Amino acid sequence: MQSANMLLRRILRSSVLPFATQHGMKKDLFPLSRTLSLSLCLKQDKSCEPSEKLDLDEWKKVMKSGLQEEVSEMVSEPKELSSLAAARETLEMWRLAGRAVPENISEEQLKTFMECPSKSAKKKYLKYLHLKELYKKNDKRKMDEKRERRLEAQDEDSKTDETKKSPFVCLWSRTMDKAYNWRAAQSMIFGQPLVFDMSYEKEMSVREVSNTVRQIVMSESSNRKSVDPFHIHFCNFKEDSLYHREFIKNYREAWDKVLITVTDQCYTEIFPKDKLIYLTADSPKVMKAFDHDKIYIVGSMVDKSIKRGVSLARAKRLGLETAALPLDKYLLWSTGAKNLTLDQMMHILLTLKDTGDWKKALEFVPKRKYCDIVNKPVKELKKTLDLISTLKLGKGREKVEKQFAKNYPKRYKLK
Amino acid sequence: VQPPEKPLQAEEWDKLREDFQSPEIFEEVMLNSMIRCNSPIDVAKSLLTHLAKRNGDIAYNILVKYLTLCVQQGQVSEIHDVYDIMKARFKILESGAYSLLIRGLGNSNQWRMALTVLEEVKKIMIPSRTCYESCIKAASRHQEMKLAFELYSEMLAKDVVPTLHVLQSFFDFSRGMKGAELQKELFGVLLYLRENQIYPHRTFMRSIKLWFESLPGGNWRGRLTKIKDSGQCPVCNHQLEDSNLTEEEYSHLSERIIKDVIHGTDTFRKTNPEELEAFQTFVESRLPFDIVIDGLNVSHIKSRKMQCENLFDAVNCLAKKNARLLVLGRKHMLTNSSNWKREIMKEMQSKADFFFAENISEDDPFLLYATLRSGKHCRFVSRDFLRDHKACLSDSLTRHLFRKWQRGHQIVLKKMFSLCFSQQPAFRYDCVVQTTGDTWHIPYKDVFEEKYSYKIPRKWLCIHQK
Repeated sequence: MQSANMLLRRILRSSVLPFATQHGMKKDLFPLSRTLSLSLCLKQDKSCEPSEKLDLDEWKKVMKSGLQEEVSEMVSEPKELSSLAAARETLEMWRLAGRAVPENISEEQLKTFMECPSKSAKKKYLKYLHLKELYKKNDKRKMDEKRERRLEAQDEDSKTDETKKSPFVCLWSRTMDKAYNWRAAQSMIFGQPLVFDMSYEKEMSVREVSNTVRQIVMSESSNRKSVDPFHIHFCNFKEDSLYHREFIKNYREAWDKVLITVTDQCYTEIFPKDKLIYLTADSPKVMKAFDHDKIYIVGSMVDKSIKRGVSLARAKRLGLETAALPLDKYLLWSTGAKNLTLDQMMHILLTLKDTGDWKKALEFVPKRKYCDIVNKPVKELKKTLDLISTLKLGKGREKVEKQFAKNYPKRYKLK
Repeated sequence: VQPPEKPLQAEEWDKLREDFQSPEIFEEVMLNSMIRCNSPIDVAKSLLTHLAKRNGDIAYNILVKYLTLCVQQGQVSEIHDVYDIMKARFKILESGAYSLLIRGLGNSNQWRMALTVLEEVKKIMIPSRTCYESCIKAASRHQEMKLAFELYSEMLAKDVVPTLHVLQSFFDFSRGMKGAELQKELFGVLLYLRENQIYPHRTFMRSIKLWFESLPGGNWRGRLTKIKDSGQCPVCNHQLEDSNLTEEEYSHLSERIIKDVIHGTDTFRKTNPEELEAFQTFVESRLPFDIVIDGLNVSHIKSRKMQCENLFDAVNCLAKKNARLLVLGRKHMLTNSSNWKREIMKEMQSKADFFFAENISEDDPFLLYATLRSGKHCRFVSRDFLRDHKACLSDSLTRHLFRKWQRGHQIVLKKMFSLCFSQQPAFRYDCVVQTTGDTWHIPYKDVFEEKYSYKIPRKWLCIHQK
């Protein structure tokens, strides 16, 4: 009886229902449904005078008619939910409400979500997962389209069936890999060392660590592909640290074959102290030229919540020389922090090593961060600019000054 | 899209939908614009009916939008119906729907329903402050002050920060009501303002004033006034609390400054251990100072002048009356340059003690420490708001202490057109809600939005018993 009733209801929900309800068949069909107070609605109907055929509260009947199934389903379930299930339930409701929430969420992610300390942290994490899911979906879609196109192309090829003549066997990527690895191996013996300082795990969140590792992986690959690679050292690298786990996630089996030196020693134990230069945006010293005899250290750290002076503190503690890139000297800076990503750093250092040309090297600074690259140091340029403005505006000097002060805090006082 | 003015038939909706550029989200967009235009509820109903007929179901977000419209227009019976449907359809709801329900029900005469919904919310999550606000307002509107205060203490216990509206509604609705218990609770609210250094705005202040004056047999009288620089209230001649910290607070604050601000996570970030030690021995050997000057900050006061000249003027201006001065600077000030002339520096060093930090060290933490170590009478000169240092302090209690101390001990030099500097005096009295039992003094802001944390209200409400 129950199942027959349900079947009937399902049919009704789809098509017959409107007809049925309008003709007062409701009572016979739905013995379980609640009676509705229609009197109030009728009053309202009069006030608005809609066309007579229209029953404005009909949607409620429809909604409620669907209910009984669900109610009967719910009875069988245990009332108390585990906290995980409850969280999943909440997420589902958020998704229905149209918030940025991923469709599928793993147990592990759900736990991370529950451990978020605040509401906004939860929101942020969900949005991140949501976007990640979207990107993945998009990528998959594109892949599928590509595959289809390729299959089509193959079909056409097989029809024409014409082999291209070429003196080489098509093995490019493997040959290239071999050549790159040869170069990297050479650099392991003769190359200039470049140190990544892996001692910042405590300063970073899990996501920042994984971003750091991705940036390092990118730097390593661009280093391998360069004409004259650095000999990369990972110093202060702890076995089984978060860094290590992230690297294995990125490299998989290849992790043991990457041509770099990984050590848990500090750079001061491996290299003479006077040869080390710690690169940090907070350094008061500005790098003038790339020195082929020095060993540069880059802090493996992504600081989204800009933590000033962390790497400078580390260099100070060890008594090392520090340097910052001459960004202000060659670039008319517009917005953004002056700390660059690790792969940008790597590109800049590689270019400097090959050419020594600052202008060329600093092209790897993201375009959004600066207005223009200049040959002349910005300081001199500013003098002329200042002169022009004083000549032009006379008393308007202060205004110009203010604007410059905004763009170039402290370092360049108009004088 | 412009919502229609009258309920439409299914075919008409279909036509509208087809004309719309992206039909998938037509209903959502339409309901949004209905909410915006506050369309009659029947129009929305006809859309829902159309939807229900077509799909046999209505999506959750559509229901929430409809609920928003109902709440906006106070359609209580509709809210009930939607709630019933939602409850039967979904196991739990999300926070948006819950707060809408609570708001809608709280404003009706079935406000007790809102409380049951609140109980339901509590099972799943910590209710938002707006949920509590609606419930508390509903309870106090119906003169159930005991219940309202129970909810209030509950939200405080859960670290949910009450809105100013909630606090104000307590005073609005208990006007003229008797009861020692109630009076105690409201004094508690005033003390909450005091502890959290919150300043009520003008309308809130008026509610407080009216409540006091309505107390039967209390003979309270409120007057608006401005406090004299000496800290005396011109209305009742009462002397306001002074801004000094107690010994205990002093030592706590200077400990925290060393621990959180100077050391932080890594001593090398702001200074280095040798320098810190050198500074500490330097300060201990020459204590106490009367005024500590942030040399670099003061030297930038007039951009047309040489930096050392600015500092020189300031030192001269403050050096009168045999005050013991300490100037904090950086080592680069000692090298003879266009901005820093050696002779002038020499002359200054005969008038005041100087400590030069490394060029890459921060001097502000040293400034704070030296001032605190010197004792209550010592003040410091800087235009800096010191917000980044305040932010380094780990707990809000210490931050409040810091703000209070800063208000009482910071002198701001202002540049004037003439050669001399003008000083903005440090406040001698503490700008916070305060009471002596038979008087209350409450500082207030003119407008609700005034938010500068460094600005202190100059206007006060003085309440005293006749």
